[in-house]
Amino acid sequence: MRALLHVAISCCLLSVGLIAHADNEVTLLQRMDVAAKQLNYEGVFSYRTGKTMQAIRIIHRANQQGEIERLISLNGVVREVIRNNEMMTCIYPEGKSVQPDHRPLGRGFPGDFLNRLNLASDYYQFALGREERVAGHHTQELKVMPIDNYRYGYNLWVDKDTDLLLQSDLVDDHDDVLETVAFSSVEMGHDIPEVLLQAQSQGNEMTWNRAEHVMAIKTMANKARSLWQIDWMPEGFTLVAQQNRLKAKNGASIEQHVYSDGLNSISIFIEKIRAQHTHLRGGSKMGTTNAFGTIINTHFVTIVGEVPQRTVEKVGNSIHYIENE
Amino acid sequence: MTANQNELLSALVDGELKGNELEQALQLLSTNDTARAQFQRHQLVSDVLHGHVSHNLAIDLTGRIADALLDEPAITLPTKRKALVIPFPTQFWKQATGLALAASVGALAVMGVTNQSQSQLMPVTAVASIEAPAQPITVAQAGNRWTVGEQEVEQRLNTYLVNHNEYAGASSVFSYARVVSYDVGQ
Repeated sequence: MRALLHVAISCCLLSVGLIAHADNEVTLLQRMDVAAKQLNYEGVFSYRTGKTMQAIRIIHRANQQGEIERLISLNGVVREVIRNNEMMTCIYPEGKSVQPDHRPLGRGFPGDFLNRLNLASDYYQFALGREERVAGHHTQELKVMPIDNYRYGYNLWVDKDTDLLLQSDLVDDHDDVLETVAFSSVEMGHDIPEVLLQAQSQGNEMTWNRAEHVMAIKTMANKARSLWQIDWMPEGFTLVAQQNRLKAKNGASIEQHVYSDGLNSISIFIEKIRAQHTHLRGGSKMGTTNAFGTIINTHFVTIVGEVPQRTVEKVGNSIHYIENE
Repeated sequence: MTANQNELLSALVDGELKGNELEQALQLLSTNDTARAQFQRHQLVSDVLHGHVSHNLAIDLTGRIADALLDEPAITLPTKRKALVIPFPTQFWKQATGLALAASVGALAVMGVTNQSQSQLMPVTAVASIEAPAQPITVAQAGNRWTVGEQEVEQRLNTYLVNHNEYAGASSVFSYARVVSYDVGQ
């Protein structure tokens, strides 16, 4: 499997001409991305941020039909998520009142991780660290360090045999670890029986189908002109996607602009105020995700991203409604 | 919990389990609160020993560990806790730690977020307002739940978070971590 991955990656590198200046760090990141999508793996990882720790079981299978993945929370109530290429199903504990909702799901980034790495290479420094043992596997540490304090960095531990990411630390500009996700046990490359990918817990079930509503910036030639202007973004963040077909629960349209420097992303949500509602004014955070909210011209404007609070705040304060000017 | 079970959990943290033993450990974790708490202690100790904690944690280790255990909902909450409604549907692909952890689909679903139905959240009189009332919010201590006081605000942020997570990161291993671990204990 590993050999196949390397061949595939080499083809990708050649196709974009990157190989001429690629270094070990960038190719390792690329291989890591491919491995996460193409390997079968099964294990338990812990997620820790602040004082919170959670154990999660993950089962991931990839074959010619695509990917399928099942996650089960091991702490507290049993919650499951099963997702494949087309849809996601969530199972909640019995007794939970759930309102089915078919929200269109975006497609996320287009499959151009390599191009994004090229973009990111101007704003991050990459360095190989020590070889360490994680979850019983020998790994190579990879440090991803931002050039400024408007974005976070990463310390990654990648399995030397399969290139699967086994641990990731999100670090701030003082190199303090803000968040850690790490396998405590993992098996890779084996067959995953169908039964392991089927929900075992009983409860309410919700399913969402993927939709094709999100426009990648490459296909946005005819996109509607936004009435909003963003005067400041951290260096290197460019518009990568935009959508205006999201709907709030009350029916209000939500416009989303996504900016990325290749590794980190910032979303700007603009929602027309329809009624007497409260809204975030100032900053808030959930784990390592920061948000900043304000109200401009009867719209809720909210910036969300895995970037420091100073970043979302500065972005939020730079937004203007064009017709007001 | 027996000594053998404890040893099993310790081996799980060390990544030494496979096959039936792994299944046995997972079964134990999914059915036994004490085992889950013990697993977390093992995990934290392992992380400390391997230096995978911030310097601040290392300075005041015992106090922080105690705080962490006290705050851990899985330890303190009864399992028959009333179900929580996930106000926003979705997915939470991609995310856990941005770059690498971030990636799959979403799991908002897995976050137990609020207990109110949408109809409760909607105002009875939908009178359009020129300006929504301001609600000053200050950034508080990092936690696993939005640091806001209003449930409506939290719900809206969750909705945004779901959609943002489609773009939050690159790889796809630990995609649901943030969502799955969303703090249901509040």
